[in-house]
Amino acid sequence: MALTTFPPPNPSPVQIHRLPQYTYIDALRWLPQLSAFTRHILLATFDSDTSTPSIQILTFTPTQNPINTPSLTHQSSLSTPSRITSLKIAPSPVNPSKPLIAASTFSGSLLFYSADLVNGSLNLEFSVPEKGFHLGAVLGIDVSDNGSECVTVENGRVNLVNLAEKGSVRRVFDSNGLVSYSTVKWASPVEFVTGGLGFGLHWWDQRKPGGPVVQFKGNWTQGTTSGIVHSVDIQWSRKHTCLAGGSSGTVFAWDIRWQQQPIILSGAWAGGGPANSISESEVWEVQYDNYRHSSNTGNVSSSKILPAMICSEDGILAVIEQGEEPVELLAEPCAINSFDIDKENPSDVICSLEWESIAILMRPQDKRQ
Amino acid sequence: MPGVTSNSGDSSLSIVPHFSDSQKPRIYPLRYHGLIPPLARVSISWARGSTLRVSLIQSDAISEKQPGGEVVEVKLTNMEGGEITEAQWRRIAYGSVTPFALLQSQKNLMDSSHYSKDWWEHVMEYSKEINSLLGNSKSSGNLVIEDPKAVLKKEEEPTSLKAAWELMEIFYADKQSETCIPERLLDWLADYDCLFSRTQPTVHAKLVDFQRELVTLQVVENDPKYWEAMSSALAVGWLDIVVKLLHLHGSYQFDQLGNRETENGLVEAVAVLISKMPRMRPDLPAEKLGECYQTKPEFMKAWEKWRAQITKLDCSAFWLQCDHHQTREGLKNMLQIMLGNTSILSNVTYHWIELFISHFLYIRPFTVGLENMCNLAQKCMHLKPISNHHKLMGLIIGILEENTEVVLAECSRSFGPWMITHALELLTAGSTQAEILLHEEQSKLGGINIEELHRLVYAQVLSSHALTWNIAPIYLTSCMKQGMGLLENLLYRQPVQNHQVLLKSIEICRLNELDIVSSNMMKISGVRNWKHGQKGSAVFWLQQAQDEVRLNRIAKQLFDFVGKSVSDESFKQWEGLIELLGTESKTAGGLKFLNIYRDFRRSLLQVHGGTTSDAAQKAVESLVSLMKNPSTPQRFWLPLLYDSLKLLNWQEHPLLNVSQTHLLLNKLQELSMARLRPDFTNVDLPPEALNSVRLALANNLGRAILEE
Repeated sequence: MALTTFPPPNPSPVQIHRLPQYTYIDALRWLPQLSAFTRHILLATFDSDTSTPSIQILTFTPTQNPINTPSLTHQSSLSTPSRITSLKIAPSPVNPSKPLIAASTFSGSLLFYSADLVNGSLNLEFSVPEKGFHLGAVLGIDVSDNGSECVTVENGRVNLVNLAEKGSVRRVFDSNGLVSYSTVKWASPVEFVTGGLGFGLHWWDQRKPGGPVVQFKGNWTQGTTSGIVHSVDIQWSRKHTCLAGGSSGTVFAWDIRWQQQPIILSGAWAGGGPANSISESEVWEVQYDNYRHSSNTGNVSSSKILPAMICSEDGILAVIEQGEEPVELLAEPCAINSFDIDKENPSDVICSLEWESIAILMRPQDKRQ
Repeated sequence: MPGVTSNSGDSSLSIVPHFSDSQKPRIYPLRYHGLIPPLARVSISWARGSTLRVSLIQSDAISEKQPGGEVVEVKLTNMEGGEITEAQWRRIAYGSVTPFALLQSQKNLMDSSHYSKDWWEHVMEYSKEINSLLGNSKSSGNLVIEDPKAVLKKEEEPTSLKAAWELMEIFYADKQSETCIPERLLDWLADYDCLFSRTQPTVHAKLVDFQRELVTLQVVENDPKYWEAMSSALAVGWLDIVVKLLHLHGSYQFDQLGNRETENGLVEAVAVLISKMPRMRPDLPAEKLGECYQTKPEFMKAWEKWRAQITKLDCSAFWLQCDHHQTREGLKNMLQIMLGNTSILSNVTYHWIELFISHFLYIRPFTVGLENMCNLAQKCMHLKPISNHHKLMGLIIGILEENTEVVLAECSRSFGPWMITHALELLTAGSTQAEILLHEEQSKLGGINIEELHRLVYAQVLSSHALTWNIAPIYLTSCMKQGMGLLENLLYRQPVQNHQVLLKSIEICRLNELDIVSSNMMKISGVRNWKHGQKGSAVFWLQQAQDEVRLNRIAKQLFDFVGKSVSDESFKQWEGLIELLGTESKTAGGLKFLNIYRDFRRSLLQVHGGTTSDAAQKAVESLVSLMKNPSTPQRFWLPLLYDSLKLLNWQEHPLLNVSQTHLLLNKLQELSMARLRPDFTNVDLPPEALNSVRLALANNLGRAILEE
């Protein structure tokens, strides 16, 4: 018998499941995981047949056999007064099976729910009505770990909502419409970043009230056209590096220590022309991707930007890493409006497709962990 | 819109199906929350698609805390729905975008050689993709233990839409199996016979009935229905079902095998003959019975042999030894069916199409050509007239009669604009006559052809829904004549106040190189933002559109706003906007002033903070460039100079040189002249401001001259 050396087994490919929902998905998130077998997904949906917006909890049961479609079953649903613009989830400090859900609406209000993962129910805890709070849609929210809530709107108001005090609101800034923000992300318990028009990012520090502490404007576009930042992400361990994604396939990182020099990771302006760009249209969401990173944390230099996942209007879901070819995970014929990486299980990603469906991606788990 | 006005009254001519159920009025509840009845006024208008926009206005007497009114939208839907719900229609619409677009691009690549011989392969691929959208994926392999008495598989009810699509595929797209159209029709009937059961007796309905009784039957062969069901199933070629039923025959039971040996032998012989039936088709699915032959001579040989075997069995002496009357008669009857006995075939089938199929199977297996088929169909229809016309029937007859107009009309009337738009690709690929008819420019349609007309109508249907409007461009861009114009219309009608819709529209413009449209939409959005007090967004969109005219116009209004806050702390708010403006004068327009002004203010603040003369020098430079800049409004000149008094009276040395001072003095002079004009706006400054500035400038000039 001849001895043959077998080639190493191919890395098992990414499992992709597309699940039609027959309703438009406005936002979606993974809920914290209670056990390895049942996972929960939170959806903010809009049923166009009945014109009812709602939020729903779905149970996701993965299958061992990649050929079979995993099952997704409805657990509970609550209708909301207006369509949801943004969803964020904060772990409950008291009870891990009851995370807190914050949802902002088109009409300008804010809703807080608690989810009971054991019996899969949703409960409205309290809400902040639109009157005197925001003018127009609330475009971005983020929940900080210390329990306060940051909000921004189209009209340039930045408000903080205190969760411990059941929704007492503090006005941080009102630009009177001179500046608009589209997204927000906490960088530390007292600092946060907002993104908005003109590829602009503002750094805020609650210890220095009165306005943003540092401002950044992307001016690499050579004055012809500019764009909007749709999404930002920050890791608290490297809070000085802010990841941002926006128009024209632009993804860049802004280090507040090098204030006016962004690192462009992708986009039509990335030097080498469109070839360097994985997408040419709006990048709707960016998140740092911990997945590949988990095996080689040790040798990543602190100057290198961590890998980032993006989704775009032209249907791309991809991972971008500084100085490397982007890895395309999905290329859909319709827009991918949002996605979420499971925090406890970064190999799993859900994304919402414009054509009333969601896609679940399960990347092979890293055995070395 | 190249409108085809449908004749009122005759619904068969309307393009979009319209159901008039005038019996009872339908009630749509209005869902508003902030209002208290009674309402002062209600106004109703059309919104997008079949949605009404209802504006409810409160009477004036309501307290200030209440909103003055509310606008709600009411969707007028066909509540009962059809075979396919709206959400499923949307899913079909989404799914068909990619195959359609792919086929169009392949067509463009082929250019003149449109009818190259492998074109149908592309069309077939397209057809399969579309077909897969129409039915839900079959859940096969779920049943591990098969119920021996489950004759019919329980599957979800197929739709007539899928049935219609497959018919079109069989007759127009599938060139490979042109010779075995009868076999394909047989498969088709096996899948869709149940559709006719609702209004009419069918073989399928018969089997469903028998299946229900079968559970309670002890001795099946004594029941005449058992034999009737098998004969019917055999006539339409559902061989697997017949063999399965035959195996339920009592003679197969162990305790009976001994004394019913001959009877059992006959049953088994018939079962074997049935399962050996020659079929002229490339292959058979695993669970189907029969033996496949690809070429006509081979098939002929096998067919003759098979029929000889049947005849031999028919004349066998064993029948005399068979005691069971029903079995003997039943089996003999089945043999007659297989031998093609016309009257028996007619007796055991119900719908004309079932009879039609049975003729293909047992009498004329070589029927080819639509003309022959059509003659046969007419004969069958004559024998089995139908009272209730299923919508598929019209389509089948149209296809068999080779009447493209009828096929078009039936597709459109019974299955709607989606069907006709997508099925046209099959029609044009399958028939030259249809191709000519569809691509001929029609003067009565304003010079467009029928294909384009249907695409435009379908695009219109897509545009009327908020979730599908953005796939309409795919269909519009495939229309040579009217497409682009209507696409522009569609884009202009989108609500720019919705951020997402605006960005999507701009993206569609980018893909279709509609730069002017995109720039117009940005302008509309900019002006709208401006009116709603979103100054930052307004400036951004006008900059994106490079609309200098409007930027200059809003600059004037912005300066009024700045004018009030030149020296107070709220200037912090402006920082963000000025950042946004950037440094390029082309995009900043008249707002370039704000940029220099910001630099000026920064340095001035530092000066007031008592720092070095460096900052003072910078402030002076900014001041000079501000005064030089033509975009700086005249009414800011004096306030700017007044703010800079400290610079002009700088203690250590004069900060402005002679020429700079001259410039400022000239501006001051110009200002004094302008004061005489009636349209001069006075600035809110202390009355001595002008004099103190003039004095400071004179003072500075003197010192500067001395220094130089």
